[in-house]
Amino acid sequence: MPIVAGIDCGTSFTKALLLLQEDGTPRVIGKGRTRSGVNVDDAANEALQQALTDAVVDRSQIAYVSSTGFGRYGVGFRDIQVTEITAGARGAHFLNPGTAAILDIGGQCTRAIGTTNSGKVKQFKSNDKCAAGSGMFIQRAAKYLEIPLEEVGELSLRATHPQPISSVCAVLAESEIINHVSAGVSVEDILRGIHESLADRAGALLKRVEMKNELTLIGGVAKQAGMVRAIEDRLKIRVYVPPDCDFVCALGAGLLGLKRLANQRATAEAR
Amino acid sequence: MRIAAGVDVGSTQTKAVILSDDDGMKILARSLVDTGANVQKAAERAFDKCCAEAGMQTADVGYIVGTGYGRYKIAFGNTQVTEISCHAKGAQFLSPAIRTVIDMGGQDSKAISVGPNGEVLDFVMNDKCAAGTGRFLANAAEVMGIGLDEIGPLSLKATRPVKIATVCTVFVESDILSYLAQGKKGEDILGGVHLAIAKRTVSLARRLNIEPEVTMTGGVARNIGMVRALEEVLGRKIEISPDAHFMGALGAALFAINKLDQSFEFGTWKGDHANRGGH
Repeated sequence: MPIVAGIDCGTSFTKALLLLQEDGTPRVIGKGRTRSGVNVDDAANEALQQALTDAVVDRSQIAYVSSTGFGRYGVGFRDIQVTEITAGARGAHFLNPGTAAILDIGGQCTRAIGTTNSGKVKQFKSNDKCAAGSGMFIQRAAKYLEIPLEEVGELSLRATHPQPISSVCAVLAESEIINHVSAGVSVEDILRGIHESLADRAGALLKRVEMKNELTLIGGVAKQAGMVRAIEDRLKIRVYVPPDCDFVCALGAGLLGLKRLANQRATAEAR
Repeated sequence: MRIAAGVDVGSTQTKAVILSDDDGMKILARSLVDTGANVQKAAERAFDKCCAEAGMQTADVGYIVGTGYGRYKIAFGNTQVTEISCHAKGAQFLSPAIRTVIDMGGQDSKAISVGPNGEVLDFVMNDKCAAGTGRFLANAAEVMGIGLDEIGPLSLKATRPVKIATVCTVFVESDILSYLAQGKKGEDILGGVHLAIAKRTVSLARRLNIEPEVTMTGGVARNIGMVRALEEVLGRKIEISPDAHFMGALGAALFAINKLDQSFEFGTWKGDHANRGGH
């Protein structure tokens, strides 16, 4: 019964997840999450340690480590690395079998992924060139509005008259947000406007891939209820958000690690 | 002697120029104020300051043209002209051979093809993204903890400019911080930053036919590092007027002088003057 670790080194957070394969379906036995900071390896160790504590297992029990995310090459103790596109698709299919369209909104990058019925990546488009399409936009706006990031999603959901943001640049939008505040627009309406602006950008990416009902939304930003509602409203599409939506890439990496480990062992036995 | 003024209300700074056509066209005064939150007040402050500088009363000015993004908020202006026309007009007036103007302002950037009479033949504009604007450079200066006036000269000292992969103002902040953490020199980081923005701006400008002579206008023209970086990427020399920063206001003032001519001809300018109320 091997235990495999999937570690997703994102631009903002590093997520680690432990998978146990007994017989049949792999099972998640522990999770850990920490800020990425400057040293990828340190963050990966910290997240993994949290996951070990959560699962009450010893590090020596881990048979295989699979890393993914922007910092995947920085994890010194990895056995293999996979792209966050492949990992995201695999994780999303495990949780929502048959999903054809996946949207991953992360701290500094948004990806639209189109997959086959079996979870293989057919095509993808990502925006990592511009902060306006990523969680960074929300982070900065929340800072300006002096709202804790955890409250953004709920506040946005309560908007009555979402205030459109015309700027497509996160920096120029800041001036616009300041104008909205001084014009007396509610924080709820401003936040929803930001979510809608992100939804529109994500929609443009999805159109270039494949937009099919339903969409599986993953990544840290998917935790914000207002973001999910904005995507449903603007893109007129049903959205499925898996539980632990920010661990989907780590899960996918872990699943791919399990498969790889099984292959290795089968090859070894054949010899 | 006819006296006219141009007021250019930019997103960051408001500029005014007073012109007289006595003995050839002559700039009598220039003024510069921060735009701040109240656009209308900024226009008034710039205009009053310019009149004081010229040693005249506001009523001595026969015609006022407003330009810039805040031009419709100028309560005392006679008419408005787009900043694109004004930059073209001003640049060609100061240097008749100018055929291309690259205007980098506080929150937008433009490239303008100019005809032999200062008319706009074509233009391209970026007001969607802070890359290529003063806002980007101000942000970079802040992250570096260096004054905005110092980043240009410092960038010229770069020997091994760093590679900047994206030009997003937000992402460049983290790029700069990680280069600082790696111990890269400030000048090399700034060299890379200026080069990245120059490439971005030139790719915008290349959507036009870039004909010589080329000039640069707007507040960013004061940044020598940006001028040199643009020259490097363009592969040609860029003329910089000492009045580059005032080009929009100067162009507006030239349009105002023309209006004054026409008004005299058609005998309507007194009516215009009366309509201006307080001024």
